[in-house]
Amino acid sequence: MLRIGLLSNILEVKNLSVVFNTPEGRISAIRDLSLSIGQGEVFAVVGESGCGKSVLCKTIMGILPSNTEITSGNIAVNGKEIVGLSDGEMCRVRGVDISMVFQDPMTSLDPTYSIGAQIAEAVRVHDKKITADALKKKVIDLMDAVGIDRAVERYSSFPWMLSGGMRQRCVMAMALAQEPKLLIADEPTTALDVTVQAEILDLLKEIRNKTGMTILFITHDLGVVAKVADKVAIMYAGKIIEQGLCEEIFARPTHPYTWGLLHALPSFAENGRLYPIPGAPPVLKEGFEGDAFAERNPYALRIDYAQEPPFFDLSPTHKAATWLLDERAPKIQFSLTNTAPPKTAHDIKQTEKLMEIHDLTHYFRLGQNSYVKAVSHVSFDIYKGEVFALVGESGSGKSTLARCILGMYKPLGGKAFYDGIDITSKRRTRKDKARISKEIQFISQDSGAALDMKMTVRDIIAEPLEIHRVYKNRKAADERIKEIMKKVGLDEQLMQRRPSELSGGQRQRVNIARAYVMNPMLLVADEPLSSLDVSIQAQIVEVLSELKKDHETAMLFIAHDLSMVEFISDRVGVMYKGHLVELAPTKELFRNPVHSYTKALLSAAPKPDPEVEKTRVSTRYKKSLTEFMHEGWEEVAEGHFVLKEH
Amino acid sequence: MNLRNKIKLESLINKIIIVLISVFLLSLITFFMSRLAPGDPLASYYGDRVERMSTAERMHAYERLGLDGPIIGQYFKWLKAALSGDFGISFKYKQNVMTVIAGRLLNTLLLGGIGFVITFGLALLLAVACAYRENSLADRIICRIGTITSCIPEFWLSLVLILFFAVMWHLLPSSGAYAIGRANDIGSRIEHLILPLIVVVMSHLWYYAYMLRNKLLEEIRQEYVLLARAKGISKRNVMWKHCVRNLMPTMIAIMAISMNHILEGTYIVEMVFSYPGIGTLSFESAKYHDYNMLMVLTVITGIVVIIGNIIGQTISEKIDQRMKAQDKMKDLMEIVSHREMMDDASK
Repeated sequence: MLRIGLLSNILEVKNLSVVFNTPEGRISAIRDLSLSIGQGEVFAVVGESGCGKSVLCKTIMGILPSNTEITSGNIAVNGKEIVGLSDGEMCRVRGVDISMVFQDPMTSLDPTYSIGAQIAEAVRVHDKKITADALKKKVIDLMDAVGIDRAVERYSSFPWMLSGGMRQRCVMAMALAQEPKLLIADEPTTALDVTVQAEILDLLKEIRNKTGMTILFITHDLGVVAKVADKVAIMYAGKIIEQGLCEEIFARPTHPYTWGLLHALPSFAENGRLYPIPGAPPVLKEGFEGDAFAERNPYALRIDYAQEPPFFDLSPTHKAATWLLDERAPKIQFSLTNTAPPKTAHDIKQTEKLMEIHDLTHYFRLGQNSYVKAVSHVSFDIYKGEVFALVGESGSGKSTLARCILGMYKPLGGKAFYDGIDITSKRRTRKDKARISKEIQFISQDSGAALDMKMTVRDIIAEPLEIHRVYKNRKAADERIKEIMKKVGLDEQLMQRRPSELSGGQRQRVNIARAYVMNPMLLVADEPLSSLDVSIQAQIVEVLSELKKDHETAMLFIAHDLSMVEFISDRVGVMYKGHLVELAPTKELFRNPVHSYTKALLSAAPKPDPEVEKTRVSTRYKKSLTEFMHEGWEEVAEGHFVLKEH
Repeated sequence: MNLRNKIKLESLINKIIIVLISVFLLSLITFFMSRLAPGDPLASYYGDRVERMSTAERMHAYERLGLDGPIIGQYFKWLKAALSGDFGISFKYKQNVMTVIAGRLLNTLLLGGIGFVITFGLALLLAVACAYRENSLADRIICRIGTITSCIPEFWLSLVLILFFAVMWHLLPSSGAYAIGRANDIGSRIEHLILPLIVVVMSHLWYYAYMLRNKLLEEIRQEYVLLARAKGISKRNVMWKHCVRNLMPTMIAIMAISMNHILEGTYIVEMVFSYPGIGTLSFESAKYHDYNMLMVLTVITGIVVIIGNIIGQTISEKIDQRMKAQDKMKDLMEIVSHREMMDDASK
């Protein structure tokens, strides 16, 4: 029996449940999930890591790992049921009816085949009789269609020869090879730079408009959602908890989680504070009852702990699963519950220099007699107690610069002074070295990799204290550790735990505690947020700004996420290909960017507001390096410097 | 000649020079080391007679065998002779070294070479079979059997095989490389190879299979496997076309390192099966101070290992071109020469 209504739906998922078999028991990855996507829609599924959004993609593609099991539900693609198909049958669905783009184009391409061969494979596997000439022509057409220029030349390039954006275009060319009805994009831009992300998102939209392809878009970034999505579903703990048109979700978030997710973003910060959702997402055993979000929900009702809320319709297109919409529930006006006093405006007395960086240049050796310029003639100062942010894309030299400042690299040219001590000099006294390693602390990007998995939290935080013999006895050190743990929001009971037992947010807190326990004068934070989820990011930023208030610590904050930079920093330096191109107080930079690269960078960052995003056109910046001669600096406003352009 | 061919030729010449230098150093070190070892080389040539020799006779004997004078002088004398094709005589066999080795080298190459190919071929098949269904019953059983068999000593396994196949069932010969007087009979040679081959393969197979299996499991978890599956390629084709191809550089590296097993690793097997190969010969030459023999065997082994490594590297580079080019960062940043860099720094 065919139902007419079904025909227009490309993807129809009904009551889908998936469990993981783990040594700890059966864990629900997806719980009773239903959704339907119509022809030509861009449907975004938003959620934090571990909410089951990637499992959903893999279930639809039929490429689940062997320890997972579909316990119930149906999935129909273009009217064809695919749950229960054999792998051989699924091979004729994958790539033809559905195809997929993955998160990291660095790892999703096979390094041993040329990109042309890999795209050709996607064509040939479903069309075995195609001739070699026709195949090559088709591949080059596909490469043209996804915006790979010089396609003929690049046919035989290998993945590692291309930039991240080009690689993601190759993956998209493969996905488009058989003109599938449904394209699943699993965080396709998360691993890319913000300007490249804008290009890829534009390309996706262009393909949709041209071919009428349906796109299931998975992401955690609400800015990206606002830019591309027609419909949005919010996912939490394996379940869709709110669903509606893009505009409806942003204008009237109804589930407390959706509301919390939106207000954890810096764009919604009020009085200089963020409003993070407390806690971390749960891991659900099979057979869980009640609302999974209740633990973190300040508005939780008693029924939330006992019974799963059903969907309540708000409009024909908008529905949410929360008991708050039941007519018996108390009417609640969402409000910002963070009652702590607003952050006092920062008065940086720009007189006392803590760190002076003068004409710093660093090269890396590539091979015989060839070097790359990682940092090129960069000069700036960091004042006492300020947050100085460095932004730029990958490869712009920000991490190299940070490492030079930490003394991990010896820069080739230029000087870096910390409070009068030349860090770059080889002839530092033992006393100076000890002082620098005590007063400059470092937080790295990957919170997990930075911690020794075999040490307890207490030992990790105590290690710098022991190295510098700050406390005479263990008891005094423990007092200090407890104090700092409380400050960063870690429970005292975690002292004897090991990092493997902690969540990502907790690990980053341990890193921060380890850095702050020394009361540093300067904290170098190299992308401390980029490996964390939105709600956790907000928590960490809150911790950092709390600490900033209490301590005299200056911070060098390295980031590619501009929204957080706007929120936390006092001054911003923009780096491009090793050059510092613009330097200004944060407000001034965001209000009046002068350098054309800064303009491109700001215009590329998506804002979580569909009204703004749907109409905005991002500007591109492509400049060859030869145009980057040192023309000198220009002060356009007080404290606002720009590298002169041609 | 275009630039590309020129670069190829240059790298070929470089490789040849490296081989020559390595072989030279190897022969130099072996020459000195063997002469520094305690013991009397005359004993292996003259046997018990040495004890009754006068000093003058001894001096004469040293001179005859080229063992007089400073070691460095001896070395260059040996080198000069060796370059013109004369490797001296074996003290123990009292014949030209090459005559002694010639017959046996072929035997060992047959045993070691076939063993090597079978070992790695089977190891790859087992690895794929196990990795294809990780943690399945078959996978677990194969891994367990592997662990157990790799604990069985070679000499014991050899003896058991001889006991059953030769002594009890009279199916296969127990010793030698061929039946007496039938050196050119291929059937006879194969018959004699079977038991030693089983021992050689069994003693190395599991170790390599397990290593390859684990490496293959790492490959299977890579994201490119998911993308290949998403294209609609079947599980088996993804395994052979993508995973195994990515495994190759690792496998070839392991093969290149274990190249010397071909020549020297069959010692125990040769002993038990009385198989006339160079494994026993090299052991004896070191034990009895048969210097000339030792030098030739070491140099041959060295050349085989070095050439094996070069071939391995070339194949790996062909498969994974990243190894050749390390200019990943070229796209991202500015490339300059050393001089430009120094100029820039001193600005």
